[in-house]
Amino acid sequence: MARRPEPVAGSTSGAVIAAAVAALAILPIAALLARAGTLPDFAVWNDAYLLRVLRFSLLQAGASTLLSVAPAILVARALARRPNLPGRRLLLGLMGVPLVVPSIVAVLGVVAVFGADGWMPLGRGLYGLQGILIAHVFFNLPLAARLMVPSLEQVPAAQWRLARQLNFSPWQAFRHVEWPALRGALPGAALMVFMLCLTSFAVVLTLGGGPRSTTLEVAIYQSLRFDFDPGRAVVLALVQLALCAILALAAARFTLHRASEIDSGGIATVVDNPTARALDGASIVAALLVVGTVLAAIVVDGAGGPVAEVLATASLWRSLALSAFIALGATTLSTAAGWLIAASAARLASARRGRLADLLETTGAVVYVVPPLVIGTGYFLLLHGHIDLDRITVAVVIAVNALTGLPFVIRSLAPAMRQREAEYGRLCLSLGMVGRDRFRVVDFPLLRRPLGLSAALVAALSFGDLGVVALFAGAGQATLPLLLYQYLSAYRVDEAAVVAVVLLAGCLALFVLLERCIGGARMTAR
Amino acid sequence: MRRLAALVIALIPLPAAADAALTVYTYDSFTSDWGPGPKVEAAFESRCGCDIELVGLADGVTLLNRLKIEGTESGADVVLGLDTNLTAEARSTGLFAPHGIDVGGLALPVQWTDDVFVPYDYGYFAFVYNTEHLAEPPASLRELVDNEDGPDVLIQDPRTSTPGLGLLLWMKKAFGDDAAEAWRSLSPRIVTVTQGWSEAYGMFLKNEAPMVLSYTTSPAYHAIAEEDDRFAAADFEEGHYLQIEVAGVLASSDDTTLAREFLAFMLTDEFQSVIPTTNWMYPAAMQRDALPDAFDDLVDPSPVLLFDDEIVAASRRAWIDEWLGALSR
Repeated sequence: MARRPEPVAGSTSGAVIAAAVAALAILPIAALLARAGTLPDFAVWNDAYLLRVLRFSLLQAGASTLLSVAPAILVARALARRPNLPGRRLLLGLMGVPLVVPSIVAVLGVVAVFGADGWMPLGRGLYGLQGILIAHVFFNLPLAARLMVPSLEQVPAAQWRLARQLNFSPWQAFRHVEWPALRGALPGAALMVFMLCLTSFAVVLTLGGGPRSTTLEVAIYQSLRFDFDPGRAVVLALVQLALCAILALAAARFTLHRASEIDSGGIATVVDNPTARALDGASIVAALLVVGTVLAAIVVDGAGGPVAEVLATASLWRSLALSAFIALGATTLSTAAGWLIAASAARLASARRGRLADLLETTGAVVYVVPPLVIGTGYFLLLHGHIDLDRITVAVVIAVNALTGLPFVIRSLAPAMRQREAEYGRLCLSLGMVGRDRFRVVDFPLLRRPLGLSAALVAALSFGDLGVVALFAGAGQATLPLLLYQYLSAYRVDEAAVVAVVLLAGCLALFVLLERCIGGARMTAR
Repeated sequence: MRRLAALVIALIPLPAAADAALTVYTYDSFTSDWGPGPKVEAAFESRCGCDIELVGLADGVTLLNRLKIEGTESGADVVLGLDTNLTAEARSTGLFAPHGIDVGGLALPVQWTDDVFVPYDYGYFAFVYNTEHLAEPPASLRELVDNEDGPDVLIQDPRTSTPGLGLLLWMKKAFGDDAAEAWRSLSPRIVTVTQGWSEAYGMFLKNEAPMVLSYTTSPAYHAIAEEDDRFAAADFEEGHYLQIEVAGVLASSDDTTLAREFLAFMLTDEFQSVIPTTNWMYPAAMQRDALPDAFDDLVDPSPVLLFDDEIVAASRRAWIDEWLGALSR
């Protein structure tokens, strides 16, 4: 008879949260299915249009991921190796900003740089896969780099000492010191980028040049909006979910969790030579160019607009306050849930229940790809008639943003959490240190940096979220991105450009503030 | 933690008008500060001495979907913002009550006979261009489609956008069974197909293409709000496709009398005079000579093209598939 596995202490809370998160994502799908009445046709392989859409979705998402993540390794490495680089903190903050840029602003920014009248005109060559890739690299290269920097910073100083004693070349040091550390975060970061690109919508349609560039997300939107065919929307959403779940579990298998010795501390001195310095310098400059030019184009556009007039409108400040409120609410919820899930997964992993730990982390992460329109419509179906949804719109937006932000929290917390558990788990147990004491003495000091990063990422994401749910229900007061859209849809392009800059500035402030308050002032290696 | 949760709940702003006498579902740009919403709301409130609430949803399609979900339990009394491409489907839900209003005196370019929906404004789709960048725009849809050296265009996706669907119907009206061929012929000059109007128009203003699919009234915005006379709409020989925006009363409304009063109010000068410079469309019940001067210079299409709404409802899916096939090569 098989031995029944012992329950792992401290893993229940995370499992409960993960189950709740899964239920929150599955419920609206079930509601749509119930609405459809009949069981929809799951034979997607019989549908030539869908197959083409699926093929294109995977192609563009795969290519975008490769082009974002491979250079991001160089950038993350350069930043991790140079803790004393002047302006490093601002650079790290700037790299969080693209996440907040609404897709329409990014598209107009890309056009301002690479369009016919742009700084680096590509002409018609912009439209097609090329344009999609440019925009996706702008969004995701910085994100991927941000997600990988902490893992590289975790390399113990002792390992670098050893590498130098063995006279490693920079390449050998990368191969034997940095690469194993990267493998803790790389698969997760790549998966995150892949999911973001897979569900990319306006960017793909607009820069893709035509209906050849249609993604699954567009097909879902079409089936739920113009056709109001909930059954078909469910089938498509499930295809997308299944695809990402498979990839997520595969990524989890490739993730290398290291249980390194307790670090003796001290500042790490990396293996270095002039070539390595040049490569690092070039990587940082290239990253600045990718992120900087598009952001600069957006800022230049806004600075030329009616800045004073827009800043004098009360609705701008109300929208700003509402967006900040939503961002902070979602951040609180999301980091709390993500912490519990990651902590439970870490305990499971250290009790040699790695598969279960992976499953927990994966559940928290893949719910991201359930389209917000599906979630919104599903909950509307479930709740209308019971609750006046127009009155709790803000709460719903916060909840949905918290759900959307969860994978970002898990991706930045989970690798560090597992390492901490491997290093200090037993020690804490033997000292009988639990609950608040443990959080205060061990967990928070060791995890405050990844926690700060995840809070900053969720805040940025929610701050820039248009709130599809809010569009479905009455918003009452517009969020900042919605205000921007309102300006744009009323010909007021110049006013919209000013709002875009306010949005960027607000995001940067929020990002740096959260990372500093939670993550601590010092960014140097521990 | 519990204190924090309480704080979060306490801070959630609730809309004030919980017990409005009349709830109107409309689209978001109608309710924005510079849209018709605020003026219209104030005018009707002082007229009825009651409180009305405008709930802004994404767009006309979202309005219809929300009604389909809510059915007879909808919180709305009036729905304002459907257009002639959606009326057949909206009528078939059976959720609307006849309007009972005399619509004989409208200023629409077509005869209005619908007994469920009342039109409040209308407009024509058109390709807009900057006269400084394009001296000789095509004179017809045929020329736009056939001339290999003609100007590039920015258009919208009929799967996600109202003007995009408008162009699809325009092409169908002009070319009939040859529409797919016409799309293929135009295809090399389509710079890109955007999700919505805002992306395409924003890109046009950044000079990504000399022409953009918009409305004949777009130049009036630039002339009035920006005092910029450079923009014009190309006048096509085949005529232009018409879009009429309508409102209707829900049969489930608690106060259909007040709801009908609102529809009647829609056709008064007080409402109609707000439309031209907020929604940038033609008011449905106001004669042309009462419009701002900039509207005199606009293209006045002839003939006016419009499919019966039942035909649109029945054929839309097949026509979109045809479009997809033609442009996906």
